Amino acid sequence: MARAFRRKGDRFVARLDDDERGVVMWLLEQARELLAPEPREPTGDPFDDLVARMGLPRLKEEGDLADEVPAPRDPALERLLPSAHREDPALAEEFRRLTEHGLRERKAGNLATAISALMAPEGDKVRLDQNQAQAMVVALTDARLLLGERLGLRTDEDSDALQDRLEAASEEDPQLYLAACYDFLTWLQESLIQALMGR
Amino acid sequence: MSIAPAELSQADIEQDLWVDRPWITLVWNDPVNLMSYVTYVFQTYFGYSLEKAERLMLDVHQKGRAVVSNGPREKMERDTEAMQGYGLWATLQRDD
Repeated sequence: MARAFRRKGDRFVARLDDDERGVVMWLLEQARELLAPEPREPTGDPFDDLVARMGLPRLKEEGDLADEVPAPRDPALERLLPSAHREDPALAEEFRRLTEHGLRERKAGNLATAISALMAPEGDKVRLDQNQAQAMVVALTDARLLLGERLGLRTDEDSDALQDRLEAASEEDPQLYLAACYDFLTWLQESLIQALMGR
Repeated sequence: MSIAPAELSQADIEQDLWVDRPWITLVWNDPVNLMSYVTYVFQTYFGYSLEKAERLMLDVHQKGRAVVSNGPREKMERDTEAMQGYGLWATLQRDD
């Protein structure tokens, strides 16, 4: 039986068995794979590569139509990296160009830190130092945002309805397992926040 | 001994404020982020008191959004990027 995070001295300790740790790691890994930035293939042209690393679009060449049709984005990515300007698409695009690669790298790195921490339990105890706890609380957010998108949570009412779904526990509900995962991560995250805030 | 400051008209001051503080960072309500987490982020990143962080969190939750910082555009871009790093739904815009 899982026990939520508590502060013990300068460590944050939870008790999670192999199955529970496995589920959390799997959910964090899903978020890490979605967020890890797509590797930028070297083009062979030093100038183009430098421009790409700076987050600038490659200069268009004549007949270069591939860039005109962006691949459809996973809606969960829109939620994890939302448009930063609601009324100005050009500024939103500029912000995305300058920040998205770095944000995705940092989020993926943070998720990897959290996954590593779960891979090294002491018996059933997960013991986190301050840095690992801060990485974990953000990693749990990204994993919950991804699950929330898959579960169609768009409003506070949707979140309330999720509780009803869990209580009904209908075998007909194809997303019951995901809903239970979401609920478990919520419980785990809430305990870690309270411990981090010294409550 | 001190020197009296040169007099500034109210219009000068307002002009300075307009130049220095024309942008805002907003955080919007979403159904996933926990109230405790939003408070934690405002305290951790901005260094706000628990009271101020909770007041802003409640504005987000009840009014749908809150202005969490204001200042020059570059600073608001950093704040927005940081809030998105924490998984909050943050945007920036000119304060008008």
